[in-house]
Amino acid sequence: MTRWLIHTVACIVITFGAGAAQAENLNVVASFSIIGDFATEVGGDRINLKVLVGPDSDSHVYEPRPADAMALMRANVVLTNGLEFEGFMDRLIAASGTEATVATLTDGMDTMEEPGGGHYHYVNGEAIFHAGAHDPHAWQSVANAKVYVANIADVFCDADAEGCQTYRANAERYTAKLDALDAAIRADVAALPNDRRTVVVAHNAFRYFEQAYGIHFLSPQGVSTESEAAAADVAGLIRQIRDTGAGAIFAENISDTRLLERIAAESGLRLAGTLYSDALSAPGGPAPTYLAMMRHNAGAITASLSSH
Amino acid sequence: MLRYLAGATAMALIMSGAAFAQDHDHDHDNVTLYRVFVGDHAEPRVTVIDLQNHDHGEEGHDHDDETWTFDTTGQVKLFGVANGAVVAAVQSDDDAVHFFKSGIELHNHGDHSDIEIADPEAIPTVLTGPRPFHLVDHGGKVVINYDKGGYAEILDGHHLSHGEVEPVKFPQSRAHHGFVAPLGSAWLSTVASDTPVEGDASVPRLGLQAFIEDGKPAGDLATCTAIHGEAFSGAYLAAGCREGVLTATAAADGVSYKMLEYPAELPTGETTGTLLGSTAIQVFLGNYGPKGLVVVDPVDAPSFRYIELPFRRVDFALDPAKPANGYVLTEDGTLHRVDLLKAEITASAKVTEAYSMDGHWNDPRPRIAMAGDNIVMTDPNAGLLRVISAETLEEQETIQVEGKPYNLAVVGGSGVVHEGEGHDHAGHSHGDPKIYTGIFEDSQIADRPLSDYAGDWQSVYPFLQDGTLDPVWDHKAAKGSKSVEEYRAEYETGYRTDVERITIEGDLITFYQNGEPIEGRYAYDGYEVLTYAAGNRGVRFIFSKTEGDEAAPQFVQFSDHGIAPAKADHYHLYWGNDRAALLEEVTNWPTYYPSTLKADDIVKEMLAH
Repeated sequence: MTRWLIHTVACIVITFGAGAAQAENLNVVASFSIIGDFATEVGGDRINLKVLVGPDSDSHVYEPRPADAMALMRANVVLTNGLEFEGFMDRLIAASGTEATVATLTDGMDTMEEPGGGHYHYVNGEAIFHAGAHDPHAWQSVANAKVYVANIADVFCDADAEGCQTYRANAERYTAKLDALDAAIRADVAALPNDRRTVVVAHNAFRYFEQAYGIHFLSPQGVSTESEAAAADVAGLIRQIRDTGAGAIFAENISDTRLLERIAAESGLRLAGTLYSDALSAPGGPAPTYLAMMRHNAGAITASLSSH
Repeated sequence: MLRYLAGATAMALIMSGAAFAQDHDHDHDNVTLYRVFVGDHAEPRVTVIDLQNHDHGEEGHDHDDETWTFDTTGQVKLFGVANGAVVAAVQSDDDAVHFFKSGIELHNHGDHSDIEIADPEAIPTVLTGPRPFHLVDHGGKVVINYDKGGYAEILDGHHLSHGEVEPVKFPQSRAHHGFVAPLGSAWLSTVASDTPVEGDASVPRLGLQAFIEDGKPAGDLATCTAIHGEAFSGAYLAAGCREGVLTATAAADGVSYKMLEYPAELPTGETTGTLLGSTAIQVFLGNYGPKGLVVVDPVDAPSFRYIELPFRRVDFALDPAKPANGYVLTEDGTLHRVDLLKAEITASAKVTEAYSMDGHWNDPRPRIAMAGDNIVMTDPNAGLLRVISAETLEEQETIQVEGKPYNLAVVGGSGVVHEGEGHDHAGHSHGDPKIYTGIFEDSQIADRPLSDYAGDWQSVYPFLQDGTLDPVWDHKAAKGSKSVEEYRAEYETGYRTDVERITIEGDLITFYQNGEPIEGRYAYDGYEVLTYAAGNRGVRFIFSKTEGDEAAPQFVQFSDHGIAPAKADHYHLYWGNDRAALLEEVTNWPTYYPSTLKADDIVKEMLAH
């Protein structure tokens, strides 16, 4: 944290030194689409935003591009999730030589540990282990989203003191919307029958959602190698699906559906739609913003569990 | 300083005396070893020279650098392959490929005996075939194309690093100057036209096509006329053609190709024929004719950014440590630093006499390769290796080499930080090969979570007791300096424990001692860097008990071959109530493998290292 503060000071000095520079927008780089949306809400028209990993894309397998390094070079502020979510970020920062403030937005958040030391992604039909001590998908609880927003407002205020009031006001306005969203999701879940609380996903990205809202997510786990991804594990999952009376299987926007189709076929459950886990949808899709994404996910889950 | 001698080979001991004599203060002791393999232009010979990184401005370092010499069949082109464990010497005019163990391969799993910074060593098996030329090292495979043979040979990099040269033939429909490379589950091969040619004229090349391993097509031809000069970066393979640069990437249903056509604003009549791929960002640096370079972006526009050189290019290289930088030597004897992001030359300095590009492409001219913070350049006419600072482009030192030093390859510490992430998701990542050998910079070390060691683990001691591991001692004795009995005795002390099983979940570690579970919760307590007598180092990741059974140890210290977050595939564990005393423990290192592994798998795993 100390390091970021030092950088922040340097940024302020540069900004003041440039004099008229304050008329210019803050150059902000967000590592992926959900953080990009938070940044837009807080920064409004005072920032120029570049999102590295765009809609429907998996940050875990992202390969950083020269344009990303150049954006980092120009940036005043870089917003990252942390918790080893963006595996490419360190080498990208090294390549760019950026002197921007690099903010880790999950700092100070009450994060969950990963039980198996990581989780699995499914890319082109292969399981890829994403190691990490903590579950990085913190935005899946709205309470955490409020922390992201508060952290972004702090970082923007440090980098652009003149705009601070605007950032705080924007954050406050948006946080009220997040509170309403949180209440709506709780109400939707509360309306479900008590024994209808379990769904299946391919990639265990919803543990914060589970902790916050009491929907239980099953996913293939404990796979030891890619190639074995795995007959054995799918069998275990099918057993779990039966034991828990899971109500539906969901695809994910960042993964292909091959594995899920197999699970659906073997378990007799239907594919009940697509959840947005690690990325927003494109602007025309059902989840172009964080608010829309959470409404969509909660709506799809509760609809699948109430209709039966 | 902790000195640990057991099991170190004779070579390691020699090196500890000569090369690493300054390791008295390991806080400031960035032990770095680069080994340069140099081929002579005229003589069938490879010379191997160790460079030492004197990075604290020590004065007047005298050069008693280690050197070795190996005979080959002819002139060599050298490639560091299999994570630097092996150097391949391709002899196109003499139909042979020699391999050398670089000697810096060592797998330093723990604080014990597998430390061998060994002599480089020729692998006895030599491949022969009609005009071996392009070599591709990607996805754990080393593939050599035989330009007059009509086939390529595929080698497994891991096996190669153990001296096993077991080529699998990949047939092509017609012999040509091409390449074969693995991409996802496919094999990409250049494809030649069936137009007859006169005498030694080169066979026209049509493009790139996906095949299965036996040479049967698995997709359509992607046109790329006169395809040449392949490289990998990120998710892409790229190669130059008459039309532009062809990119290929693995897709859910096979291979996806894209032709990046040369834009109109580039000088006409030139093409790209040689490409280098960055390991940190997805970008290529290629030539564009003899006097130009292009930065090629496989995804974003502009696909090409042109850099004009003041003179014709002699050789170029990318900097893995500072991925925005490349270096190019031009025929006037000037070395230029190229910024790939800005697509411009950012520094230039005269480093040698002029070497005109007039004449044959294979005339003796300098070649360059990166060695950490330095560029190593052969200077054939001067009979020298020149070591040049990448930062200042100033010469740091020269090393005399008999004959005309020409092609080169450098293996050793490079400072690349690219561990456990990136494009290579096949199998578990071994990360930086230098870290494996215990050679790394302090800045590369990072805190590690207990979850790196999560799982259910079994002690290997019972397998030692019941004789299951006997083949391992035989193997070590055959390779090493001790007898079977000596190795067994050493490991008997090393592995000895009555904790037969350990489970780690969240912060909870359960020790099963003689069948009885003992539990404790542990929190991260930092790491300690230990320096061994051979000059290489290991890192202990330490956790201290926050609560739990009285009998559970206050401290546990993990040692595996990693120095930054990555799942351990096995580890050595030290435990006790005195943190400092544990750091001195170097003879007993109970060792744990996943409980799911069968005894045979563990033996295989040990034999492989």
